[in-house]
Amino acid sequence: MEWAWLIPVFSFIAVPLIVVLGPRLPAKGAFLAILAMLGGLIVFAMVAVDFLQSGSNTNGCGISEFTKSLTCLYSINWFEAGSFVGDSSDGIRLVWGMLLDPLTVLILGLITIVALMVQIYSLGYMHGDPRFGWYYAFHALFAASMLTLVLADNFLLLYVAWELVGVCSYLLIGFWFERPSARDAAKKAFIVTRLGDVGLLIGILLLWSEVGSFSMVAAFEAANNGSMSQLTATVASLLLFAGAAGKSAQFPMHVWLPDAMEGPTPVSALIHAATMVIAGVYLVARSYPIFVASGDALTVVAWIGLITAFGAATIALTATDLKRILAYSTISHLGLMMLSLGAFGYTAAVFHLLAHGFSKALLFLGAGSVMHSIDELDIRKMGGLRKVMPLTALLFSIGALSLGGIPILSGFWSKDEILIAVSEHLPPAFIILTFMVAFMSALYMGRAMFAVFFGNLNPEHEHAHDAPMSMAVTMSILGVFALVFGLVSLDWPGNFDGIGTLVYFEKELHFHLVPWIAGLSTILAVSAFVLAYFIYARKRISLDSTRAKFNWLHKAVENKYYFDECYQWIVEAIVLTSARLLGLFDRAIVNDIGVNGPGWIVKKVGISMKIHITGHVYSYALGTMLGTIVLGVMWWLRSVG
Amino acid sequence: MAAMNEIILVSLILIPLIAAIVAMGFPKDNPRPVWYFAIAVSAVTCILSVIAFVGYDYTEGGYQFTRTYDWIGDPVNISLALGIDGIAAPLVLLNGIVLLGAVLISQTIIHRSRDFFVLLLALGSGVFGVFAVQDLFFLFFFYELAVLPMYLLIGVWGSSTDFGTFLRTKEYGAMKLMLVLVGGSVLIWVGILALYAQSANVGSPTFNMIELGELAKAGAFSHEFQRWVFPLFMIGFGILAGLWPFHTWSPDGHVAAPTGVSMLHAGVLMKLGAFGIIRVGVILLPEGASAWMPILIILGTVNVVYGAISAISQHDLKYVIGYSSVSHMGYVIMGIATLHPVGVTGAVLQMFSHGIMTALMFAMVGSIYERTHIRDTNVLNGLIKRMGTASCFFAIAGLASLGLPGLSGFIAEFMVFVGVFRTYLPLAILAVIGAAITAVYMLRLLAKTFFGEADPRWDNLPDSSPLEKAVGAVFVAILIVVGVWPAPLVRVINIGVDSVLQGL
Repeated sequence: MEWAWLIPVFSFIAVPLIVVLGPRLPAKGAFLAILAMLGGLIVFAMVAVDFLQSGSNTNGCGISEFTKSLTCLYSINWFEAGSFVGDSSDGIRLVWGMLLDPLTVLILGLITIVALMVQIYSLGYMHGDPRFGWYYAFHALFAASMLTLVLADNFLLLYVAWELVGVCSYLLIGFWFERPSARDAAKKAFIVTRLGDVGLLIGILLLWSEVGSFSMVAAFEAANNGSMSQLTATVASLLLFAGAAGKSAQFPMHVWLPDAMEGPTPVSALIHAATMVIAGVYLVARSYPIFVASGDALTVVAWIGLITAFGAATIALTATDLKRILAYSTISHLGLMMLSLGAFGYTAAVFHLLAHGFSKALLFLGAGSVMHSIDELDIRKMGGLRKVMPLTALLFSIGALSLGGIPILSGFWSKDEILIAVSEHLPPAFIILTFMVAFMSALYMGRAMFAVFFGNLNPEHEHAHDAPMSMAVTMSILGVFALVFGLVSLDWPGNFDGIGTLVYFEKELHFHLVPWIAGLSTILAVSAFVLAYFIYARKRISLDSTRAKFNWLHKAVENKYYFDECYQWIVEAIVLTSARLLGLFDRAIVNDIGVNGPGWIVKKVGISMKIHITGHVYSYALGTMLGTIVLGVMWWLRSVG
Repeated sequence: MAAMNEIILVSLILIPLIAAIVAMGFPKDNPRPVWYFAIAVSAVTCILSVIAFVGYDYTEGGYQFTRTYDWIGDPVNISLALGIDGIAAPLVLLNGIVLLGAVLISQTIIHRSRDFFVLLLALGSGVFGVFAVQDLFFLFFFYELAVLPMYLLIGVWGSSTDFGTFLRTKEYGAMKLMLVLVGGSVLIWVGILALYAQSANVGSPTFNMIELGELAKAGAFSHEFQRWVFPLFMIGFGILAGLWPFHTWSPDGHVAAPTGVSMLHAGVLMKLGAFGIIRVGVILLPEGASAWMPILIILGTVNVVYGAISAISQHDLKYVIGYSSVSHMGYVIMGIATLHPVGVTGAVLQMFSHGIMTALMFAMVGSIYERTHIRDTNVLNGLIKRMGTASCFFAIAGLASLGLPGLSGFIAEFMVFVGVFRTYLPLAILAVIGAAITAVYMLRLLAKTFFGEADPRWDNLPDSSPLEKAVGAVFVAILIVVGVWPAPLVRVINIGVDSVLQGL
């Protein structure tokens, strides 16, 4: 288990190798990234087995007093600065430290599996791209940073990894930078998340100054035993949440994620669905002791989560671009995870994070397969594709049904846990809206699935082909996960008692179903799919009249509630204008008046003095005489006085 | 080796100075020989600076490689006392690296190249002198030796640019730089004389900074005296560090200067100012420093935010980097003003990191301008297609400047944040926001200039020369190494900073 630090290291080493040696290697060194990822997966598997078998007496491990579950810590010093004599809080130490607990182990599993699948998938998808080598170098860097982010046992290392995954996301969104839209989307993603990171960084500094180190455990301890005031805990959690909201595309910082779909589709699957965007949810889950100590912060998390989940779901219903539908669906589900955390549904949030990760990655890869084949994303121009690409249709449908919450598939179980948590801990209005989100989720998933793969085949697409081998195999593996992963929540014979006994906060959660919630959510999901079938596959029901009736509402939703326009206006009218004014101020006032002014005065004074330098002996003689008289008078006055 | 230790600092100063004199004898019309000569000289000083840095024993700390050459004895007491501490050692290394890079990149100087390299080497000598000297008289001497060649370097080899609404000639840039910096020098000189006079009041007059430091510790400088003298140094040196509102010489100077000079100007010269504030101001006038730091840190914060916002509105590549330097030097000033071990260590590391980063940016911009004859970000686009290497290197420097972890800028800025957070919390928030604004202008610049559709105008554009690529690659490697493994620099700086702050 001490070898867990190796999991990201393989990929870190692969990056320079691919950049330097890649051009001379077959497949531009792509296999290096894949091998590194495979190595990471193998080490992870060993670590995970080791972790599940060890107890509180294992070296470096103990039962955490916050989560009450097994936690192991290992660390190596990286560098330090400041004076450590006496007051230790006057210095900083950057530690390469790892914290292994059930949360870490589960998310590591998600990352290693999905990253490996996506990297193999990309062999087919990105085949022939002129920057194939760079693509894999960025992927390896991303995987390494993401794994480090999850392993970090201190906030400073977490922040380092956090920024690195951000820059990888930037590089991969803008991978096809020749397209202005991709270039701008990359810039937008980086800047919006960076704004959230301002909060995160200040929050980390606040915690540091409060507890004197960047160690997470130390911060949790201070929050737990009350040495950190509740106000500090609230402020710190809200600052951390600002960073989390940026990364996890929560309202009002959600605008970058739909644009991020400009990147290659496998990137959307890995970074913008399954891994990087969950970093925010992970951060809140990881810092849960501080959020719980605050209490108020959790309410904020719940509200933001609900608003995000609801708003994004409505937009997903009207979007016509297949990838954008999936993107808004991701935002909505991330909102659900946040909502769940806000409702003390720690297990539910983590469970949904995993189930959603597998299902959404599968959906994106399916969408990628469609794009690869017919180079089209507008669902209005598609239909009946199951006839020409049956495997993709089958796997996409599994993903859609799973996220839509059809029983037995993974999404059903995790969503159910969230509904239970919300119904138990939050006011009734929340549970009603959450059910509506669940209904819409099934509806837009049904819409995407039926509009693309069912109905009549567009004649233009008759020669479409199904996914090539590398893509088909990886999608199938993820398909299996989407199918059966949810079953880990069940109470199995033997000593495994459901996921709630593995990853939990404070107390174990045994498998339980609340009949009315499970029943209602099933009814909603099934009816949504049936409705979608009749509207989009059979085209029996037309929405034109409804759309006409709620024209204004439809317009607002279709335009994503005008957030982009609003931000655009703020950037142009406020930020850029004030920057221009300041630039002008600097040149006209500070420089031309402040700096040139004195120069000008000196020059003028010099010129005016020049007038007296006439060169006429008479005028000099006059001056000498007058001066003598003045001096004489002064001498006389002094001697008199 | 012991003999080597004795002469290393004096060789660092004298080799480029003597070489500058020797270079005057080179043929006037043939640019090659003098360029090769300058490369050889700067390579030697670069190696020496590496030896000095590596040889500095950070477990021991204090001033090392010390050596004193008497010049004028009693009653004036001026001697060339040399020695570097943990703060100066990395800066000596920085100058060695940037000087070599600047000389290599100045291959393209054809016009009166002999005179160009004479001045450049003299400038390099002056910078080494300021970092290595322990005598205020010689500190001032070398300071002027570093600053004065700038006037000619910009005025003769610079370029004038018409920006449509206003014109910036090289003569204007050179003249402004000169006058403003000399204005600062006057303040510094008055301050030095005040210290000298005060030392005469309590004993024998001295310019020696070690002796003055002892006097300061013994309380020879009254609180009142310190409060009056410190601002002379703060503003005098601050002007060279780009302190707001005396910063406008810097962006205009960058725009007018030729590439190699811009590299030295932003990479090393501005650091002299910040170094002077620590070495002269904080060490000799600790009480004055404590009294004035609140003002200094506010000015530093203004630098950070004001510089960053101004950079957003610029659309000349060199102006963007120029204002970015103003903003980044703000972090150095803030870090120093914290008088907190982590903050000051961060400030010194930021000097090193920013020196490498900005020099790299200017080198790449020079390479681009050489080929396109355009620096306007509204006109340039899609350059990465044709000039892949230069664009990549510039992008890496840009990411370092917006504080990306894994590159040197992050570690330095983070330490400054920590120091400021401890001492002036609200300003720390502004500083962090400043870093976010950096992301705005840097990414806008990258998007506009390098990414986007390839323009047919650049179809025949050659990529940077192998030499430019090599210089860029070394600089990038330094950014990455320092970013991933800052310990070798941090531990040296830390020991120097600790001994400085013990005097407070």
